[in-house]
Amino acid sequence: MSAWGQVGDLLQLVPVQRAGFGLLLAAFGLPVVGVVIVGLDIMPVRFAMMHVALLGIAVGQLVGLDPVVCALVACALAGAGVAPLARTADGLSGAMGLLMSLAIAAALLMLALSGVNANGAFALLWGSILAVRPADLVVLGVLAVAVPGLFVWRRRELALLLHDRELAWCSGVAVQRLTVVLLVLVAVSVAGAIRLTGALLVDALTLLPALAARRLGRSLVSITLWAVGIGVVVNVTGFLISLAWDLPPGPVLVLAAGAVALAAHLIPERRTSSWRTSASSSAPSPPPLH
Amino acid sequence: MSLEAPQAGGAGGLDVRLRGVMCRHGRLEAVSGVHLEVAAGERVALTGTNGSGKTTLLRAVLGLHRQVEGEILVGGRGTRSAAEWAWRRRACGWIPQRPAAGRFPLLAGELLASSGAPEAAAEAAERLGVGDLADRPVDGLSGGQLQRMHLARAVGCVAAGAGVLLADEPTAALDFAGQEEAAEVLTSLPVTLIVVTHDRAMAARCDRTLEMAAGRLREVA
Repeated sequence: MSAWGQVGDLLQLVPVQRAGFGLLLAAFGLPVVGVVIVGLDIMPVRFAMMHVALLGIAVGQLVGLDPVVCALVACALAGAGVAPLARTADGLSGAMGLLMSLAIAAALLMLALSGVNANGAFALLWGSILAVRPADLVVLGVLAVAVPGLFVWRRRELALLLHDRELAWCSGVAVQRLTVVLLVLVAVSVAGAIRLTGALLVDALTLLPALAARRLGRSLVSITLWAVGIGVVVNVTGFLISLAWDLPPGPVLVLAAGAVALAAHLIPERRTSSWRTSASSSAPSPPPLH
Repeated sequence: MSLEAPQAGGAGGLDVRLRGVMCRHGRLEAVSGVHLEVAAGERVALTGTNGSGKTTLLRAVLGLHRQVEGEILVGGRGTRSAAEWAWRRRACGWIPQRPAAGRFPLLAGELLASSGAPEAAAEAAERLGVGDLADRPVDGLSGGQLQRMHLARAVGCVAAGAGVLLADEPTAALDFAGQEEAAEVLTSLPVTLIVVTHDRAMAARCDRTLEMAAGRLREVA
């Protein structure tokens, strides 16, 4: 049977259909979360959220609550908690490292107290796109609408905030509130996506399209559109390739997204007409304002 | 207290009062015991050596520097609540000393629109010779072009109701003709102007010149 014939057969299976649909939904929401991650310079957020989620699971198991819900709540609280550190340019990046260390230490302590095996707790975090359930599709669908929706609704404020926090403050943007919203959104999305798709795939779905888009776009709007476009193309082609040659989807999608990000960085800088041209054309100086 | 939008247009700006203002950078006292009264519509040049606290003082008025003691009033209003800070931010236009390159690209047109009066800012950009650069990212502009963009943005802020303009070395990246032009634009706006400058021509156009040295302020002319 040809590779593409095999794809046709596999696409008849409900779990494969769900996985494909899940990846398509994820391509609309998660690359936009990646744009925020790149914009706020919080690349280590995935590692930090994995550890915070583990702490949430440990607390959930200790007190007898749903561990996954506890993990998401812990991530949301951690996202909101580090927001005040965003005041300086490198504050958040350092905070993610600190959060990661503190959370894993606290999680291990909790697990020791609760007597739960750490591997068992970790297993709750590691999902697979082929094991996506209808409820997970609902979560991905909400992200696919809510995240781009926030970007459309607040694009002026977000463009200013991600460019320069102080300029945003002076332009009337509610900097602190918007930072909290973004960090909670990132924390919950990343933790939720790890649960739905597995830790490896999260990078392919969030960061890598955003890194490629950062190189290709010239404004927040164009970067966001590039990120979603790359996400859709990478997810669809990567998924079809993995089906055609019976390969695990996670690594194939990461490699496909990584190849696109690498190619974007190898493209020469976009050449606009030189600013010197405009500078000379603006001389002599026009009459002053009155 | 009523916190309606600032109404500066035609009113000649808002008064600025600083009483016993002290600003710290960690343990370093950058500004010490500054008292300053600037009447509505007055134009004040702030000069002094590098590191004397001029920029910190302007940033304290805007709320960008938070380690501040003493009282800062603009239009008679302090900043005890978030609503009062929001009012302060609308009341004060700002031209930064070193416009940030930014982590994410921002189009020059978006910078102009952030003034609150996009049309007035775009018109000012046209007159300042940078109107055709509005679709460029600001990190693709030269230092002088970016400074003109910020100048145009400040005109937009005034059109949107700002009553005070805080300009931090607004002519530093400009050529001689550009410095004259920027000084003319700034001093002809119907607002209270506090401008940090090392440019004598700019200072000469102001009503008063103050000098800062080691965090203290004194009247020069």
